[in-house]
Amino acid sequence: MKKFKKITAACLTACMMATSLAACGQSGATGSTAGSAAGSQGTTAEETTITYWYWADNDDYAKTMEEMVADFNATNGKGITVVAEQQPWDGGGYSTNLLNAAIGGGGPDVASFKLTATPSFVANNLLANLDPYLETWEDKTDIADNLWNIMKEASGTESVYVMPWNTQILYVYYRPSMFEAPGIEVPTTYEEFLNACKELTVDTDGDGKIDQYGFSMRGASGGQEPWGSFIYAAGGSFEDLTSEGSVKGMQDFIDLYTNGYVPETAPNDGFQETIETNFKSGKCAMVIHHTGSYKGMVETFGDDVAAFQFPAGEGRWTSMGDTENVMLETCENKEAAFEWMKYLATGKGQETWCTVTGNVPVSTRVQQMDEFQNNVFMKASIEGIDFAGILPILDTTSDWISNIWPSTVQQALLGQITAEEAMQTLQTGLWGE
Amino acid sequence: MKTLKRFFTLWLPVVLILLFLLFPFYWTLVTSLKPEQELYGPVTYWPQQLTFASYEKLFSEFDFLKPMGNSLLVAVCTTAITLVVSTLAAYAFTRFEFKGRRGLMVMFLTNNMFPTVLLMIPLYTIMRTIGILYTPLALILSYTTFTIPFTVWLLNGYISDLPVSLEEAAMVDGCNRAQGFIRIVMPVLIPCLISTGVYIFMQSWNEYTFATMFTNSSNRTIPVALKSLIGNLGVQWDLLTSGGIITIVPVCIMFFFAQKRLVEGLTAGAVKG
Repeated sequence: MKKFKKITAACLTACMMATSLAACGQSGATGSTAGSAAGSQGTTAEETTITYWYWADNDDYAKTMEEMVADFNATNGKGITVVAEQQPWDGGGYSTNLLNAAIGGGGPDVASFKLTATPSFVANNLLANLDPYLETWEDKTDIADNLWNIMKEASGTESVYVMPWNTQILYVYYRPSMFEAPGIEVPTTYEEFLNACKELTVDTDGDGKIDQYGFSMRGASGGQEPWGSFIYAAGGSFEDLTSEGSVKGMQDFIDLYTNGYVPETAPNDGFQETIETNFKSGKCAMVIHHTGSYKGMVETFGDDVAAFQFPAGEGRWTSMGDTENVMLETCENKEAAFEWMKYLATGKGQETWCTVTGNVPVSTRVQQMDEFQNNVFMKASIEGIDFAGILPILDTTSDWISNIWPSTVQQALLGQITAEEAMQTLQTGLWGE
Repeated sequence: MKTLKRFFTLWLPVVLILLFLLFPFYWTLVTSLKPEQELYGPVTYWPQQLTFASYEKLFSEFDFLKPMGNSLLVAVCTTAITLVVSTLAAYAFTRFEFKGRRGLMVMFLTNNMFPTVLLMIPLYTIMRTIGILYTPLALILSYTTFTIPFTVWLLNGYISDLPVSLEEAAMVDGCNRAQGFIRIVMPVLIPCLISTGVYIFMQSWNEYTFATMFTNSSNRTIPVALKSLIGNLGVQWDLLTSGGIITIVPVCIMFFFAQKRLVEGLTAGAVKG
């Protein structure tokens, strides 16, 4: 037994050492991401190297980025070589790592970015002001004005520091077969939407228990995004969460739960529960999410899943997830870096990335392409671009999203506090007043 | 009656604690063996269809050998450097009285009181300035700055417990100080060097914060490679869980070898010496 133990251990160790040493001996990295160093390595106008940091949600996206980089390097005709480096997203830790690297005097020339990180970067003068480059850029109008305004709002200045790249705009997924049975039309107003939630909540097998709910509500973390659509549609806004409209929106949200038009588990339901457990299992007729999940929906339901944009009430808003690109102030070849940013925002990179990732293009030219127009989910997203928005970017936003919103809304749904009290807590948590 | 009492006071709590501790590992293993369509369906506690597809994908498409090699290189070098430097330092601290000895020991202790994130930017700047950023050396250097002080304190305790008379006896028999250290002290220290080495190796093998800042695509270590499977909009559970299982294999092997030494008493060694 002892001998066997020794032999097994020796074999396992030998295998480990062999595989690991083989790996050490492998030459370089694959693709275009090999062995880069921080900072640009400007040489001549003909030969310029731009380093680029990005994160990828899966291996296919990383490969797509490598292909895009190879395509840009081969076709830009200006001697620009982009060296891309994949970084871990790390639950948002990516932005902190980028900030640390930039403050430490290193970091890349261009980087993928999230708007929420803009204030800290701008306050430390780490981002290049893009205004001079945008002034002479012929494709600037190819990106919707609303998006440029959001970029400016994020920096808290009248300048643009962040280049739009792609978005994830929320819309409503619904099951046409569930709508057809009781003869319900796709809602075109907020009131119709609330009514549809009620009509679609049914006991399908007559056993006295509800087995189909109108709406898959997200009451746990991340639920503030679909919730925002209710607040605006009822006439409220994030700017004043205690206004009459905001409180009415909250009351509507609570009523959906207390009336039983959403699953009982809603106060604790996050992404996995709302999408996988409730909607994809056929338990709910509607759910709010973005294009990130449409491929899975189609795999599950085939033609029996479609989309519409959250309808207007007194106001209209849908949440916009965002991914942008920034140029760091330390970049030595800003003209070259901007060429790469253009390629991603409105050029071939925009087409390729959005096609593969299923994200919504920011370029109106790309939005008009058949593959986006013929996709009902993409179309619903594009329809939302003009009224899509983000939460106010404040020092309190992160804590508000992670802690204050989920706990307050859970209490409100469970009847422990009223809609007014909940909105007062949310207002204080976000704006401190 | 006695058996029943023993069952409720000993075996039941042990089983419950073991279940609590081991279930995450079991779940990781089971998830790594499930086909992709089963990952997101109704919960199954054993795969309906066993598959090693995620492991194949991990080593082919994801090229997991590369981060494994990088982690091994960094962990082995960090362990070796730390043990050599710390053993000599701890020996000096325990056997010689010199000026500043206490001050240095206190400095070693305070070093470990700093949260690593505080040192991130200064270390990044230093690595960049001396030109070792994005090389394994950057990680080895930063890890040793934390492991050496800890190890010195640890070994200090062990060595100060060793009777000086052992070395004195060796020197009476003709050994000089260096020979006494190598022939007498070192053999006795082996059990604690192994346990300390295992600790250092695991620290370097699993470290993430520095690894994410001081490496790039060509020299990523395992924790960073695995973390890159968790994206903004999705998680590649198949690769993440299979990578997790592969990652704990070297640690298991080390414990397999070291467990005897880990529990071996220091005095037993002293008697042999």
